[in-house]
Amino acid sequence: MFIMLGLLALAAGSGFIGALSGLGGGVFIVPALLIFAHIPMGTAVGASMISVVATSAGASVAFVRDGWTNLRVAMVLECATVTGAVTGAYLAGIVPTWVLELLFALMMLQSAYFTVTKVGDSIMPHSDALAERLKLGGRIPAESGQQEIDYGVVNVPGGAVLMVVAGLMSGLLGIGSGALKVMAMDYVMHLPLKVSSATSNFMIGVTAGAGALVFLARGDVATVIAAPVALGVTAGALAGSRLLPHVNVQSLRTMFVAILLLIAVEMGWRALSGF
Amino acid sequence: MKDVTADEERILRVWTPVILRTILVGAIAILLLGLLSMAWQSPGYYVARFHRLQNTGHLQNRESLALLVSSSLKGEPRPIMTLGLMLLTLVPLARVAFCFLLFLKERDGIYVAFTAYVLIGLVVGVILGRVG
Repeated sequence: MFIMLGLLALAAGSGFIGALSGLGGGVFIVPALLIFAHIPMGTAVGASMISVVATSAGASVAFVRDGWTNLRVAMVLECATVTGAVTGAYLAGIVPTWVLELLFALMMLQSAYFTVTKVGDSIMPHSDALAERLKLGGRIPAESGQQEIDYGVVNVPGGAVLMVVAGLMSGLLGIGSGALKVMAMDYVMHLPLKVSSATSNFMIGVTAGAGALVFLARGDVATVIAAPVALGVTAGALAGSRLLPHVNVQSLRTMFVAILLLIAVEMGWRALSGF
Repeated sequence: MKDVTADEERILRVWTPVILRTILVGAIAILLLGLLSMAWQSPGYYVARFHRLQNTGHLQNRESLALLVSSSLKGEPRPIMTLGLMLLTLVPLARVAFCFLLFLKERDGIYVAFTAYVLIGLVVGVILGRVG
C-alpha cells in the first residue's frame, strides 16, 4: 500500500511540475521513477508514455474547444510524429539503456534551452505555396476586445523533419517532446506561439498514443507501475493547470531550468556509467 | 486563409470534447477501480510484482484481449487495470478517427489521406509491438 501511495505521490508531483513548467509530466516522471523508485528505464518509459496520453487528452480538449488548435497543421505534422514515434518505440526495445539515458540528458538540455529562450510571436501574414495548397493558414481567436488576426504558415518540410525527430524521441523516451514540437512550429513554421502550444498539445497525445500502442502490444507496460503513474500524473497536471493562472511562472523559470539541468547531469552520468 | 466550416465547428467544439472526455473519465474510473481492488484484495501481490520488477528488470504482460476481458469479468484487478490503460490509449486514436470522418464528410481528399496515414501508422505500431 505504501509503495502504491508513494508512486502516486511521485507521479502527482511530476505532473504538477510538468503543468507549471509547460513541459509536461513525462519529462519529470521518467527520471523520478529511475532515481527514487529504482524502476528500470524501459518500464519507466512505458508508464510515462501512457501518462502523457492521459494528460494531453485532458488538456487539449479545452484548446480545441476554444479554437486555438490548428487541426490541419496537426494532421499534416502527425504523419511525421507518428512515423517517428512508432519507429522510436520499436527501437526502444532494442537500443541499449545507456543510449536512452544519454538521449534523455540531451532532451533535458533542449528543454532547458527552450525554457530560457521562449520569446514572442513572429507571425507571417501569408502562407508559402505548399502551405497555401494545404490550406494551413488560420485565424487567431479574438481575445479581450482584440480583433481576430489571420496568420500564414511557412516551411512545412522543415517543420516535418523536426517532427520526425520529436516523434522518435517521444517513442524512445516516453516524453511528449512538446518543447521540440513548439520550437518547430514557432521558429521554423512561424505559427503564433499560442496556436503552436495548443496544436502541440493536440499532437502530443497522438504521438504518445502511437508509442504506447507499441509498448502495450509488446507487453512492455508494467500495469502495477503504469496505472498509479497515469492516475498520479493526471491528478498532478490538473492541479498544476488550475494553479497556473495564479502564479508568476517567470519567477519559477530559474527553478525549472535548474531541475532540468540536474536531471540532464544525472542521466548523463548514468549513461556514462553504463557505457 | 481557411474558414472553419459549420460541420468542423460542431464536430470539433461540441462532439469531440464530449466523447473524448467520456472515454477519458471511463478509463480513469476503470484504472481507479483496478488499483483500489488490488490494494484491497491482494496488497501482497502488488508489492511482490513491484519488487520482482526492480530485481529482474522486466515483467512480461503480453496477454490476448479475450483473456484480459474474461479475467476482468472475474474481477481480477491487474487485467482490469490493463484494460483501463488500453482504453486510455484509445483517446488519441478516437480523436484521429473523428478527424478522418470529418475530412471524409468534407470530401477533402488530401486530408483524408493524411489522417488515414496516421491511423495506419497506429495499426502498424500494434503489429510491430506484437512481432517485436
